[in-house]
Amino acid sequence: MNANEEEWNMLKKVQQADFVVVELTLYTDTHPNDIEALKQWRDAIKEASRVRREYEARFGPLSLLSVPSSQALDVGWRWSNTPWPWQR
Amino acid sequence: MWVYEKKLLYPVEVTTCNPMLAKYLMEQYGGADGELAAALRYMNQRYTVPDTVIGVLTDISTEEFSHLEMLATMIYKLTKDATPEQLEKAGLGAHFVNHGHSLFYNNAGGVPFTSTYIQSKGDPIADLYEDIAAEEKARATYQWLIDISDDPGVTDALRFLRERENVHSLRFRESVEILKDERDRKKIF
Repeated sequence: MNANEEEWNMLKKVQQADFVVVELTLYTDTHPNDIEALKQWRDAIKEASRVRREYEARFGPLSLLSVPSSQALDVGWRWSNTPWPWQR
Repeated sequence: MWVYEKKLLYPVEVTTCNPMLAKYLMEQYGGADGELAAALRYMNQRYTVPDTVIGVLTDISTEEFSHLEMLATMIYKLTKDATPEQLEKAGLGAHFVNHGHSLFYNNAGGVPFTSTYIQSKGDPIADLYEDIAAEEKARATYQWLIDISDDPGVTDALRFLRERENVHSLRFRESVEILKDERDRKKIF
């Protein structure tokens, strides 16, 4: 697996984990007293942040809410670098 | 406020240059039942609905903007390498003359977006019924797009979007029930 492929695969994992959060957030919006769903929602956020940390440590932040690692900055990561999502 | 995420909600992989398909997808980009209309409709209604349904309008509106970005990505990729001749053949000659290779908020027939597509009545039940209808119309449009799409990558993304419209419709229906329950409780006490 080359670096590009690896980056793409790890990004897909972030997308997957973030999607679970999106879905459970909508569900808990209309089911605020569903304790089991709230638990799943908390777990999903934890998992999404874990997967994101893994990706970002290697390939740099996906949003400006994450601190860029000095390693990423050293190898030339900048927020404005390509590819943007539609350029992939 | 919003924070940009440098990724799509769902991966979009496009197989070939296909300006005809791009033209059809514009229905969901700048059309009456498209993602721009949905995002703007909910984001504007949320200020005057009861607290119990502000979250659902905010979160669905935010998701619609990510759908809009997916549509833009599909349209961009399907047209970026097209020659003027190919665009013309696909019915995008007039689009090219006005916009070059850039995107615009038009529907599939080339009609520009207008805020008259959407409403805000200051009546939460009326607004939510409009929102349910909007999701159902978007779902139907996605079905027709899936039926006409000849790009497997685009079809995959469209299937994802069609399912999201189902989920949003369901959440809006639940929101109506939440408001009805609140109203009935007020009558009892």
